[in-house]
Amino acid sequence: MKPNRLTVSWPVLLAFGALLASAPALRLAADTPAAVPDAARTDSSGDAEAQLAAARRQLEQAAHEVARLSEQISGELIDQMMPLVETGHAIIGVQLDPAAGPSGARVREVSPGGPAAEAGIHAGDVIVAVNGQPVTGTAPARQVVKIMRDVKPDSRVTVRVLRDGKPREFVVTARAGPEFFAALHGMPELGSLAQLHGDFMFHRPLGELELVTLSPRLGSYFGSDKGVLVVRAGSEGPLKLEDGDVILAIDGREPTSGSHATRILGSYQPGEKVSLRILRQHKTLDLESVLPERADHTGMMQRDGPLPEPASPHRTVIFGNGDI
Amino acid sequence: MQPDLDQPGSLARVLRELPAAGAPPYPFAEFQRRARERTRPSRSLAGGRWLAAAAVGALAVVALSLRLHPHASVREPPLGDTAPLARAASPAPHAEIMERWLASLPREPGVVHVGTHQAVTGLEDRIAQVDDLLSAAGTQRQPPPQFVALQQERTRLIGALVQVRYAETLADESR
Repeated sequence: MKPNRLTVSWPVLLAFGALLASAPALRLAADTPAAVPDAARTDSSGDAEAQLAAARRQLEQAAHEVARLSEQISGELIDQMMPLVETGHAIIGVQLDPAAGPSGARVREVSPGGPAAEAGIHAGDVIVAVNGQPVTGTAPARQVVKIMRDVKPDSRVTVRVLRDGKPREFVVTARAGPEFFAALHGMPELGSLAQLHGDFMFHRPLGELELVTLSPRLGSYFGSDKGVLVVRAGSEGPLKLEDGDVILAIDGREPTSGSHATRILGSYQPGEKVSLRILRQHKTLDLESVLPERADHTGMMQRDGPLPEPASPHRTVIFGNGDI
Repeated sequence: MQPDLDQPGSLARVLRELPAAGAPPYPFAEFQRRARERTRPSRSLAGGRWLAAAAVGALAVVALSLRLHPHASVREPPLGDTAPLARAASPAPHAEIMERWLASLPREPGVVHVGTHQAVTGLEDRIAQVDDLLSAAGTQRQPPPQFVALQQERTRLIGALVQVRYAETLADESR
């Protein structure tokens, strides 16, 4: 029987198509005074902003739900395949063509937002060497996979490719793969990879945190040439950050962008300690916090057991108060 | 040159020569409504609210369909089918369109809202894991039976990433 892939795809595509089609119409309606409903006309500015904030929260929750369920479903399949395939601890975010090429391993797909994509590798590039080791031969894709087994997460990998016949070299920062992630967090205790992501990745109570990657000019204003600027820390943020702080390091890892900081923060579980090195009003501080219990989809706190003692669910210790 | 209004009868003459008053462009009620409009939040705010509401609705439909048919896209091919690997080698056309759209976006929004962006990075990481697994599985002499299903799963993940990034873009625009 032919696999029926469209059962899910049609509703998804229809919904998405409807959204895309309706966007310009909605925009036009909003710009036309006569199209403003009577009820909306009487809204005060505060009401509209409150409604917008609520809609934004719903949008965020819906996006999380799509991502969480998608990850959960794919996690089940990955769980089935993991014992059958030997993978490494680190990944660079490419899918290689298993067919043997004459000159190297052809990149069939580049993972969107993955390390290779960020470094500038394209689908169709032909990998001829990884970390100086040539991969030309009868099974170049297999050689690349084998080399990657020895690469550690966060290490820099030099990838030499042929693009349109011309050699180019890229430095890719490898990320942790599923095997490393499972080993690090004690997979047997936590359950499957599907659950691992479904339960922990999207329930961080960090929803109000807003970050900006420091540009050189912005960096000079804040007194740092690296790090990520906190433009909105949110109220009662568990990390005790303040607006205007610059995050220099998270447990020793230096975030290079807002996305990178999001990834690092997303790797912590509730109850885990997080150490931040920040710049606050040109002074370097070290903050230590413990992430509180996880929140459910609506951002409300959720506890599996009885309520703990009335002490704060998170603690923050500030130590050090000078430049390093 | 202005007429000399001090001359007797000049003012009356000038007034008589004025054109007849035109009809007001709109009644006073409309004037009041427009005045209220000017004091309301910007139209972009209203537009963002409607767009956000529409996006919520669409994403809710997507989430519901995922809940109702979680495995519909990942059915395993029957044993003995030799074509699936060849089919899997060529991604669906709509997947290519989605990937091109994703590639056209900036790497991250100007302001990264961590709450929303966690959904994006989670999906991106999952796709990278799937690609890594597909690379490793493809080099085996006998690829696992789930190979094609995982390839299809990748397409579905790309679709989910498009939806989440679109939602992120809308939310970012409405701020």
